[in-house]
Amino acid sequence: MKKFIVLIIVSILAFSGCEKDDICIEATTPNLIIRFYNNDIPAEIKAVTSLTVWADGKENQYASQTLDSIVIPLDLANNNTLYRLSTATLEDQINFTYTRKDVFVSRSCGYKTIFENLQIESNTTNWVKNISINNSTIDNETAAHITIFH
Amino acid sequence: MKQLHILLFSISLLVSSTVYSQQKQDSIVIKQKYGIRLGVDLSKPIISIFEDGTKGLGLVGDIRVLRNYYAAFEMGFDEKTTNEDYLNFTTKGSYIKAGFNYNAYKNWAGMNNEIYVGVRYGLSFFNQTLNSYTPNVKGTYFIPTTFEPNTEFNDLTAQWVEFLFGMKVETFNNLYLGVSVSFNNMINTEEPENFKNLYVPGFNRVFLNNAGVGFNYTLSYLIPIIKKNN
Repeated sequence: MKKFIVLIIVSILAFSGCEKDDICIEATTPNLIIRFYNNDIPAEIKAVTSLTVWADGKENQYASQTLDSIVIPLDLANNNTLYRLSTATLEDQINFTYTRKDVFVSRSCGYKTIFENLQIESNTTNWVKNISINNSTIDNETAAHITIFH
Repeated sequence: MKQLHILLFSISLLVSSTVYSQQKQDSIVIKQKYGIRLGVDLSKPIISIFEDGTKGLGLVGDIRVLRNYYAAFEMGFDEKTTNEDYLNFTTKGSYIKAGFNYNAYKNWAGMNNEIYVGVRYGLSFFNQTLNSYTPNVKGTYFIPTTFEPNTEFNDLTAQWVEFLFGMKVETFNNLYLGVSVSFNNMINTEEPENFKNLYVPGFNRVFLNNAGVGFNYTLSYLIPIIKKNN
């Protein structure tokens, strides 16, 4: 009978640590983060007034807002995404290219996509003066990946 | 008066001795059956009827080693397609388990029922096929894309320990119905690259902390080999 009780206690202990893994709480596919800086004073953040952002052929991500940074998703069906950024008067387009890599996260989250070899294939410079890539691997959302000087 | 007392005393001795001897004559020695018990897990075919993409067979057996101890073994195969929010995968493989049961139930004379606790070591060989997945993206700015890679992860293994609790009831002579619940704890698994063993044959669903739960409902037959007094 003693053994019986011991075994029951062991089995309860073995099972008591169960967690619910039906809810996805881990980080999933990261977005591209862009910050806007002053082209004349490169260390100074400079917000864009009346900024509208949309991917080619899609609805607006941001519409006429004053922003010093934007967070935009990349297309998982293609290896490039063409974004259009317009101020009140001028419009610029940036074509991002990347390679996609799907990384397993967990049962409930499934896979997330991370982007590697992020490059700017082409861009116009109507109001955007310069673009620099801070991090060509997009696997988190902790810091800006792209800096736009204007 | 004294003589009467002596008479009563000798009668009482006589009576008590006859009662005692009668008790001894009444007690029948019930022999315990020792043998191999073989059975099948009835829960697997029942589950496969109600749940699509599930197939399986489980065989169970035990050998009575001591009066209350049974060496137990299980084997079987499982095929299961699991559908999660962002994933769909199929697990296919076989398993073996070995261990012992301790019967904690004190039977009445002539009964052979069991309420037992047991321990098992489990070993499984299996394959996983990632049928499809949809990368998890917040929002729906771009239409979510589902990929069907059908990636096969072969030659995977898992080892675990089970603590189980169950009972067996002799319904007809030598025919037993049994039910048991097991609490499983993974020792180690060979994980597929860029995927995880979320289901293991014999272990069932692998929870976040590498724990699992098992259940079976068995019908088994005892092949008696020897009968002993104890």
